[in-house]
Order: sequence, then structure tokens, then C-alpha cells
Amino acid sequence: MRCFQPAALILCLALASCAEDAQSPEQIGRTSAYRHAMDGAPTNLDPAQAAIIYANFFAVNLYDTLYRYKYLARPYALEPNLAEELPQVSSDGLIYTIRIKPGVHFVDDPAFENGRGRMVVAEDFVYSIKRHFDPEVRSLGAWLWDGRIVGMAEWRDNGANYDEEVPGLRALDERTIQIQLIQPFPQLTHTLAQGFSAIVPREAVEHYGPELSLHPVGSGPYRLASFDSARAVLLRNPHFRAEPFSLAREGYDPERQASLGLEALEGKVPPFTNRIEVEFITEDAARWSAFVAGEVDFIKAPVTQFDTLLASRAPPRLKPRFEQRYHMRADLESGLVLTHFNMSDPRIGSHPDSDQDARNHALRCAIVKAFDWQKRNEIFYYGLGRVFPGIIPPATPEFNPNLDNAYVTRDVDEARNLLILNGWTEGNLPVLEYGLVAGVTERQMFEQFRSFMSDIGYPAEKIQPLTFATYGDYARAYHNREVMLITTSWTMDYPDAENTVQLFYGPNASPGSNYSNYDNEEYNRLYRASALMQPSQTRTAMYNNMNRLVMEDCAAISGISRTLILLWDRDVAMLPDRSFVGGYFFRFVNVGAETGE
Amino acid sequence: MFYFLRKIGNSLLLIIGVTLLSFVLMVWFGPDRTFGLLGKNPSQEQIEQVRRQLGYDRPFAERYLDYLGALATLELGYSDSSGEAVRAVLARTIPVTLALVLPGFLLGNLLAIVLAMLAAWHRGRALDRVITGLSVAGMSLSFLVIIIGLQALLCTPYGVNLFPVRGWQVDGFGSYFYYAFVPTLSLVIVSLGYNTRFYRAVFVEEAQREHIRTARAFGASPLTIMTRHVLANSMAPLITRVLFSIPLVIVSGSLLIETYFGIPGVGRTTFEAITNGDQPVLKAVVALTAVSFVVVQLLADFLYRLFDPRIEQAVADGGGAAV
Amino acid sequence: MSASVAAAPAARAFRGIGRDRWGLLGLVIVTIFFLLAAGVWLGWLGQDWARAVGGRWEPAGTEHWFGTNLLGQDIFQRAVYSARTAFEIGLVVALATTVLGAAFGALAGWRAFSWVDDVALWVKGVLDSVPFYLFVAALAYAMQGRAFAMHIAMILTFWTPTARLLRAEVMRLKAQDFVKSAQAIGLPAWRIVLRHVLPNTVHILLVQGTLVFVAAIKTEVILSFLGLGVQDGVSWGLMLAESTQEVIAGHFGNFLAASGFLFTFLLGLNLLSDALQDALDPTMTRRRGRMIKAPA
Repeated sequence: MRCFQPAALILCLALASCAEDAQSPEQIGRTSAYRHAMDGAPTNLDPAQAAIIYANFFAVNLYDTLYRYKYLARPYALEPNLAEELPQVSSDGLIYTIRIKPGVHFVDDPAFENGRGRMVVAEDFVYSIKRHFDPEVRSLGAWLWDGRIVGMAEWRDNGANYDEEVPGLRALDERTIQIQLIQPFPQLTHTLAQGFSAIVPREAVEHYGPELSLHPVGSGPYRLASFDSARAVLLRNPHFRAEPFSLAREGYDPERQASLGLEALEGKVPPFTNRIEVEFITEDAARWSAFVAGEVDFIKAPVTQFDTLLASRAPPRLKPRFEQRYHMRADLESGLVLTHFNMSDPRIGSHPDSDQDARNHALRCAIVKAFDWQKRNEIFYYGLGRVFPGIIPPATPEFNPNLDNAYVTRDVDEARNLLILNGWTEGNLPVLEYGLVAGVTERQMFEQFRSFMSDIGYPAEKIQPLTFATYGDYARAYHNREVMLITTSWTMDYPDAENTVQLFYGPNASPGSNYSNYDNEEYNRLYRASALMQPSQTRTAMYNNMNRLVMEDCAAISGISRTLILLWDRDVAMLPDRSFVGGYFFRFVNVGAETGE
Repeated sequence: MFYFLRKIGNSLLLIIGVTLLSFVLMVWFGPDRTFGLLGKNPSQEQIEQVRRQLGYDRPFAERYLDYLGALATLELGYSDSSGEAVRAVLARTIPVTLALVLPGFLLGNLLAIVLAMLAAWHRGRALDRVITGLSVAGMSLSFLVIIIGLQALLCTPYGVNLFPVRGWQVDGFGSYFYYAFVPTLSLVIVSLGYNTRFYRAVFVEEAQREHIRTARAFGASPLTIMTRHVLANSMAPLITRVLFSIPLVIVSGSLLIETYFGIPGVGRTTFEAITNGDQPVLKAVVALTAVSFVVVQLLADFLYRLFDPRIEQAVADGGGAAV
Repeated sequence: MSASVAAAPAARAFRGIGRDRWGLLGLVIVTIFFLLAAGVWLGWLGQDWARAVGGRWEPAGTEHWFGTNLLGQDIFQRAVYSARTAFEIGLVVALATTVLGAAFGALAGWRAFSWVDDVALWVKGVLDSVPFYLFVAALAYAMQGRAFAMHIAMILTFWTPTARLLRAEVMRLKAQDFVKSAQAIGLPAWRIVLRHVLPNTVHILLVQGTLVFVAAIKTEVILSFLGLGVQDGVSWGLMLAESTQEVIAGHFGNFLAASGFLFTFLLGLNLLSDALQDALDPTMTRRRGRMIKAPA
């Protein structure tokens, strides 16, 4: 504490004594609650609205999903959650039969008769998925199963009557679910591990109406004690089914995970922590301060602190004084950041005149060549991001590490040549409209992009920002094809490259998720064929082919996967994550254990 | 009597004007929530459906009348983003904002009055010049600079690191002091310059009056003169100013502090509602501010006449000039 | 007659400031910043604000007086360029507000207590009742983030105090002899107002103008921080927004440069404004001229 002159000194002393009394309880002694910090906040905890990662975390902890991912296995592997085992799939891949565990109950809640939580039955799952197709619900997750389940579209169009049966989604008995697909959908089981598929009881929906978000009634390991824009508090669900923790089943890797202190938990029954406090701290500075002050046990470290934290980058290692206090995990994100070109914009994309089309193609490739990924990585991701060519990110099993990196290697000369050879001059270059959400980092990225382009002779006045105050606004604009260059990140919903490859499938064009409105016949053909295939070498070869097509057409400046640095207190025994396939680790968190070196 | 009826009529017109303006801005031209409500890969039909549900395809007059109707019957509804009842949102956030902003507001004004009296009494001399100089300096500081600077000085290891960077977990006086100290200090610093200047000017003018000079000649003590005569006679403009600043401080002033310090108050909630297009919340807040502003104006008017019935002309000036 | 009436305030202004040491300081500061802004306009200064001329977060040194930011841009250059942004915003808003305020105020004052006056008062009341930042945010959406959304929002809210003051003054002037004689001669109302009444209000407009200038700059800082302000280019507000992320990592260049420049400029403007007030109308008490739209 630095105090300069006598008067200030006295003031400081007075304040210090006051502040000590006033210090929040967390700093006085170690409590047994786990205090988690999220770098964003969910607005709505209804599983049908769990589109963002923060909401997904809550959905999977307050409610039950049929499946989840193993706690410790990397890469992520599916594990039955409410289901007894992985689904039985018919030979044509169209019929899935799933049995759920017996004796699982919802939490006690006034929504039920006598206030006691009743048993979870197969019909509850059926109801929960039907909800997504009820227009009144305005679900954000319907797209996962849209056009896939037999009879669902008809059910929706017939007035969405919950008492009416959907032929492709039935409860054969109290514990058996049967799903019938229109076409094979290899990723179906993955979708049943997402927060969207969480099981919601009909009584709660009818009782709470629009306030369901504030009164979650689930069968998950936790129940909600409080929720506002600053924090949420979860309490252990005493009726959660008892399933002893098994290191082997969760995919424990003794070589890499020995220091986490997990062996002591073998055989114990999760959830291990009675109380979880989740703070929503979007501001990097505040989150960092809260963590080092001991107010929270876990954060995703802000990039601005990487300098302070890390002693080395490859591999990332903490400086000794942090190493003593914290565990660290450097996680490659399941997703990527890229910039799409709007191919339906004739100034830069496809053009009916074949000559102009070729010139546009050259322009796009010149822009791709002029982009300096190494510098982007260095400045904004502390060099920890992983740059890769194309649209299949490193976190997927289908990633090909041997691909030629030319697509993401800067070559100013080649870029200039492309422009000259195709008749592009300072005078006739189109004005590039770069879409971004108003924010310091986004604006800096734009200015960096502009400086990259100026190196190949693109005049600064011809590169203009198109700012939007919120992401929702931005989304509306690019869904309406109004944005020329769309920089965005895509977080994968499940660990399968199909999720990124569908981003360039023609029929998924705006308002769908094909933001670049890319439409290549061969690509589309390959996609349709591969969509029905289970993961295999043949399928991976097709994906590689599709990747090549996108790069040849220079449809996007792509891409980079960010590395997240997760830090947590050594007092806490856990392996945390921050991804869409994660969040399930809450039930395995153990506070207060002594963890080894 | 007639005067007050007329005043109330004016107030109603004002309220209508405010609701119309806010409707046009926030509802008619407001953010299009369609895509925020659709998942990935929506189809054209889904889009149409959501737009119909949100009422985007209905004509202006119909939507405006609906809006007014909902306001009049206090049918505030549920938040579009979180589903929480708007009444509950307001009940939760308004007390937080008040608790956050009132101490700074009161302190800022009280301190300013004291400093202004000192300056007015020693007019032209060293103390006055110092106070005036500091006031001008205070007026030249941006609120943002004050907040960032104070946070760096008091809440980070680069300074004394005594207070939290953000948060609001108040469950007693100790924690209240802990979380409210830096925001209160910022509010005091930012308003002190302006307030001191204003009050000084009022006191100086008052102090030049005949009866004050007479009192001085009679040897009354400075304290008596300042309090009993100057202060008492300046109550009219003082109170007007204080009253008029209230609605502004509470909604606008708290916005920056709440955003920066992560405090779940009504300023930040409203701002988020605007950027997210959460109309139920917006309707409620706008109506509330309009009504409170109008009430404040009525009150100020009434008090003005109470303190000095001669100033009818100045009141007809629109009152706000004093602010 | 009207010419000399208008000249008198200007002459008084300069004489007054000359005598007032602080006013002189204010004038000097404002002039320096004006020269900086002009220098940027003319392309002599601050042109390298966007180029990455150094490494990431270089500390202050001889080459970069305030160091560099995340992208390696020179902070000092950016601060100088921001003077131009500030002047542009301040001038546009101050001029537009003066014109709007004078027009409305004169109209309402001339036709005091008539329905025109009532409508004008109603409009002013409505605009005053909407919380400022909400108004700006809403307007930013309505205008879909177009460059002038911020300016228009400020103009629409800042004109009311000017209009009120003008109204009162016009009402007062209307009752005076020279106006009555002009009316007796048969001069049309608009001519009387434009050529005889308004020139006598220049002192009010001038002082209000400087106050609006100050308010505009302060407001831009906060709006840029919230993401609703300057979209392309650089301003002190944007620099401060950048600094919020950097301060926690120990890089103070952006914060010190932006707040230093901002404080000095505002101080100069405030001193100048006070001196003008004292010189032009010492009887006009400070309280009437205050701009209280947005709190700081």
C-alpha cells in the first residue's frame, strides 16, 4: 500500500481499517463453495434458449440431457448421462432406440402436485424436443433437428398440440425413447448432449410460463438458488442419482492429469461440491482482479495478461510465482475465427459476367494473400493461436496437419501481382465494407486489417468500417446479405467437422449459417453425400476435398483457433473447460483438497 | 387553482410527447429482434413467423396505441430477454441504483454548498480563488477519466488496492461501504466542480443584497449571515437545481458507473434493454422517467412559488434555465 | 444602429479577456489546440495515427513520446489527431445548436404566450424529459450507426437551454423602446427580429456556444467509450476506451495522453467561457448559463 504524504497517510490508514472490516467473507477464510467466473452472462436459462455457451453451462447442470461427454477424456467422447447406454441404431441408420435410467426424479417444486418432484419418464424427453418446434416458444435450438425427425414439421404446422403424437419421436414405454429420422444423421447423438436437448417437465413450463428461466425445474446435479445479471448460485440437488465416480470410465490419463488431485475422488458420489457461485464478469480487467484477489477460483485469463502470466509460450507455462498458486490449462478452442467474403455481392463475389467473376476471384485471393495471420496471431492472441489453412479447425478429428500452409502465409508480392495482372488499380478497386461489432478489440482488428491491405496498395479510404452496436444487429445485417466482409467466430456445437463444413453448403445460405453465401455445385454434391456417412476415412477425404474447393475459390480468409488459458486455484481439484461440449465438470469439482505438484 | 389544472394538463401533454418520442425511437426504429430470436439456419417461414409474433408487420398507429394502453394499465409484462417480470426487474434494480447514487449525490451537493459559502464569504480573496480554480479544474475532468483513474488508484495493485474492481454483494453496512466507496467518490468528484460554481454564484448574488450588508454592518457573525440569511433566501434556486438533477443523475449518471463497476442497477439494465431491444423493460423505464421528471417539475414549480410568489415571470421562463 | 450594437459585445469581449489573466490563458490554450487541429486538417501533423510504427506497447521514449498501443501505433500522434476530431464535433454541434436554439428561442420569445410558444415549450419539455444516454442509444439504432447519429443526438438535446435563454432575452428586448419604434415604423416582424433583436443576443449565444462545445466534447468521450460515438478514426474517447483494457496490464500511455490532452483542452475552454461571460455580461449570473444535459 503506497501512501504519500501525512494527510493521505492518515486517510489511508483510516480507510484500511474500515476496508478490513468491510472485506467480503470470501477473503477471510476458505469456504467450501466453488466460485466460478464466466466471461459473459446468460440472459435466459430456458434450455430452448441456450444458444450461448454461458446458458449452455447452466442448462446441462440444472437439467438432465440424455448424453454428456466424459469428464477427462480428450478428445471428447460421448458418455451416457440420463440414458443407460449409447443408442441402439438400426442398420439403415434411421431408427434410434434409447432407454433411460430408472428412478430419476425432478427437484421438488410447487409446479408439481404436493410440491414433490416426480419421476422422469421418456415422455418428458419427447415433450422437451417437441417444445422446440412450438412456434410460441421461439426456440433457438430447433435447427438442430429441423427437417430430420419424421412427422415433426407436420406436427408444428398442425397447431403444435402437445397431446398429439409425432410418429418419429415416441415414448414406447416409461423408459424407452424411439426416434425415427428422415435421413441418416450421424451427429444425432452429439445433439443429445447439448443444453438444447435438456429435459424439461411439462408442469414447470405450464406453471411458470415466461418466467421458466428464473425457476428451472430439472433433474440435474444442481438446482438454482438465485440468478441475476451479476451472478448465479447453484446448490447441490440432494435427489440427484448416485453414480460413483470412476476415473477409468471418465477417461483418466494418469500421465497428463496426475497433478490435479483427482485420484482421491475415486468411488465418491458426485456432485462433490454443495454450493457453486458463478460470477458473470465480462470485463477482462475486473475478472483478472477478482481472480488474483482470491474472490473467484477459476477464470479464463484475459489475453492482456498473458505477458504477465506466462514464462514461455511453446509450450505455455506459468511463471513460478503463479505456478505455485494456480493450475493452468492451455485449451485449443473448438472453433475458429475467420472472415467471410459475401459471395452474393457482385463487387467482390460471384458475378454473372465471367471476366468480371475471374477478376473478383483474383481480388479475393489477393486480399487473402495480403492478410498477415502471423501478426494477427501475435498481437491479438499472444501468438498462442493456431493458424491453419481452410475451414477444418485443429480441434476436430478430421483435421489434416499436413496441409500446405500457403493459404495462410502472407505473400505481398503475389498479392500485388494478382491485382496488376487482373487490371485492378487504386482507382477501380471497390470500397471494402468491413463489418464489426463496436468494441475496442474489434476496432483494432479492423485497423490492423486496413494496414495489411495498405501494404498491397489498397487505399485506406477504400476500406471502411461498418459498425454495429450489438452482435444481434450485426447478425441481422449479414443474414440480410448486407455486409461485404463478415468477420466472426464460429464455436462448434459438437466435435465433428461436419459442423464447420456445413458453413459453406449452398442451401445454407443467408439467412442460414452460410454467411458467405458460397454456392459451389461440386461442394454441395460432396456435402450431401458426406452428410449421411458416419465418420470414416472416406468421409475425411471428402471433407479435405471440400476444404480445397473453398480455398481455391478464396471464399474466406481462414482461419485461426484461439488458445484459451484457463487458470484455477490449487485448492480446487478439477479439470475445467470452457466450450460447448463442456460444462459437465461442475459436478466433479472438489474444493479444499490438497493437490500435488 | 386554475393554474394548477393547467399545469397538470401540460404535464399530461408532456407525458404523451415523451411516450411518442420514445415509441418512435425505441420501438418503431428500434433494434430488429428477429434474428436474436432465431437459431442458426432459420428458414424464411420461421423469420416471417417471428416477425408476426413481434408485431413488426402492424401499422404505426395500432402499435402506438397498444403501447400507450399497456402503459396506462401498468401492464408491464415480461422482459423479452430473460423472461423476468418487468415489475420484478424494476423492484430489484431501482433500489440498487438509489443506494449507489444517493450518497454521492447528497455529499456532492452538501460539500458544494459548504465550499460555495466559504468562497462567497471570502469573495475575491485567496480562498475564493483556490476554490473557484479547483471548481473549474473539476469541471474540466471527464467522468470517464475520473472513473478509470480512481479505479486504477484504489482498486488495483498499481495503487492502494483497497476496494473491489467491481461487484455489488451488499448484505450489511460494511459490505455496502466496501462496494459503494469508489463509485460514490467518483460521483462526488465529477459533480463538485459544477455544483460549487453554481452555488457560489447564487450565494454571491444573494450576499450582495442590501439586507445582508446591513446585517454585516450590525456585526452579525459570518456563520449566522451565511446560514440564516443567504442560504435561507437562496433555497429557491437551490432546491430547483437539486430536484432537477435527480432524474438525470439516477438514470444517466448511474449508467456509466454501473457499466464500469458491474453493478446491477436500473441505468445499466435500461441501456442493455435498448441495445437488446427489450421493449417491455424500455416501456416501463421510459414511462417512469417521464412521470418522475414531470412530477419533479411540478414540485419545483410549487416550491418556487412557495418560497417566492413574486417570481412568476421566471417560472414561466420554463424553469429549466436554472439548471 | 444594429451594427454598432453587435460590435459592442465583441469589442467588450476582447477588452475583457485582455484584462483577465485566466481568460487569456484559456484563449491561449484553445488557440494552441485549434492550431493542432488545423495542422491535422492541412495534413502537417498527426498523419501517422493509423500506421503501426512501433512494437506492441512500447514505453514512453524519445521516439514515441507516450509510447505505442497494442497495434504499435504512436499514442502521441493519435492524441494530436484526436484534437481535430474534437474540434469537428465541437464546432458542428455548437454551431447547429446555436442556430436551432436561436431560431426556436426567438420564435417562442417573440410570440410569447401564444400557441407557438406553447408548442415550443412542449417540444423543449419533451426533449428534456428523456434521459440523455438512452436518447442517444435509441437514436444510434434508429440511424443504424450512421456517422452523424451522435452529432444529431447531441444537437437535438443541447439546443434547449440556448432556446430558453433566447426566449427570455427576446421577451425582454421586445418590451424595449427601440423595438417598439421599429414596429411603429412598420417594419415586418422577421426583419426586426433578425436585424435588431438577435444581434443584441450575441453575447448569450456566444457564451452558450462555448458551453455546448465543452459538453459536446465530454459527451463524445463517453459515447465513444460506450461504442456509440466515433466509428472511424480516433478520438480521446476511443483512446480512453482502449486504455481501460491496458491499464490493468500496466500500460498507462493511452490513459495519460488522452486524459492529459482532454483535461487541458477542456480547462482552456472553461476558462475562456468564464472570461467571455464576465466580459460580455457581468450581471448575468453564472447559474443561467449552465449546461446540465449529461452529467459530466
